[in-house]
Amino acid sequence: MIEFILNGHPVTSLAKANARLLDVLRAEFSLTGVKCGCKEGECGACSVILDGRLVNSCMVAMGHIAGSTIMTIEGYRETERFAALDKAYAAVSAVQCGFCIPGMILASECILAKNPNPAEAEIREGISGNLCRCTGYNAIVQAIQSAAKEGQGLW
Amino acid sequence: MVNSYQAVSLKEALEIRATKTVIPYGGGTDLMLEPDENANYLFLAKVPEMKNIVDDSEYIRIGAACTFTDIMESELAPAILKKAVSQIAAPAIRNLGTVGGNICNGSPKADSALIFFATDAKLRLVSSRGERVLPITEFYLGRKNTSLQADELLVEILMKRTGLSNYYYKKVGARNALAISRVSFAAIFTINQGKIANCMTAFGAVSDVIIRRADIDDMFIGKTIDEAKNVKEEYLTAYAQAIVPIRGRISAEYRKAVCMNLLRDFLASNGI
Repeated sequence: MIEFILNGHPVTSLAKANARLLDVLRAEFSLTGVKCGCKEGECGACSVILDGRLVNSCMVAMGHIAGSTIMTIEGYRETERFAALDKAYAAVSAVQCGFCIPGMILASECILAKNPNPAEAEIREGISGNLCRCTGYNAIVQAIQSAAKEGQGLW
Repeated sequence: MVNSYQAVSLKEALEIRATKTVIPYGGGTDLMLEPDENANYLFLAKVPEMKNIVDDSEYIRIGAACTFTDIMESELAPAILKKAVSQIAAPAIRNLGTVGGNICNGSPKADSALIFFATDAKLRLVSSRGERVLPITEFYLGRKNTSLQADELLVEILMKRTGLSNYYYKKVGARNALAISRVSFAAIFTINQGKIANCMTAFGAVSDVIIRRADIDDMFIGKTIDEAKNVKEEYLTAYAQAIVPIRGRISAEYRKAVCMNLLRDFLASNGI
């Protein structure tokens, strides 16, 4: 039994301590916005926010997060910050197939939480672990720049 | 039956380590690549004694469970270490991966371990029986094989407070982000009153263990730059013999050539 805070609510997982956080989020908590891409920490599709920091949930064992706070796209979706990113991504057509987008949005949040006015290089560094095979990244970078500009005061 | 443990103090972690068969779990980024359903992990992320970066009169003491991000954000961590860890993988991995795990995993490609070799760092290894402080060069017995005892934990890495500011670091990988080192090289070079006071080099991802040959580097100690130029060929020849790369995905010949180029570039950058 592992207790942690999931999207703002205290929860208890019945999973083993060495189960992957990714698998537990999808199978036990039905949070399928957490995508399974590579299971080796390369693609970022399974990104979640652990105690305020972006992590690949495929690289995390449940025992590591006991007592910690996890935010997935399902929890983040309820925030004003998400609304600003959602609008910005849509405005520049930064989404095609969408598989990378839950992770990409959470990476965007972590970039803006660290610096509300990030330089382009910081944005590219911040999403460097989130692979997108559709867009070529430029639109995503533009979306994050636009969210930073339009969402003044949110971050 | 799988039994894993979440320690919240060093004392508790050492008691578990002394009485159970467990695998220390720092950030998990190596362990979770090949997850073992039957593994018993000892989770260390919430052991405060292993999370600090502090200094004393002699050393900067880096907790083994500090993540690469913790090091990048630390005011105390030496620039050469920050530079190397900032090129590891991508932010989401740097937020998990720890220096202790990087060292104890035993890979010669470990980018932070390379820096600890190049700076002659020491490891503070603690068990419930006591503790020992070991130069990192004595910690590795071979590839994926360290002298960590079954009841021990790597608690801190001790780096010299001074003399590390003039450094050279290059990682040769296939791309910028998410790259595993094909060859990596780090060095410290210090001139004091016109003479070479310190020259320390280390080569990563080349051999079973990171290469650190203080005996060769010491050829330069006490010499002026001009005097060093006179022994440069002898120095390079000694390294050409010392570096025996293993063949992996990348050919041994390529690795050797890159090592020697990096070594020459390091010397040139210091006027030798």
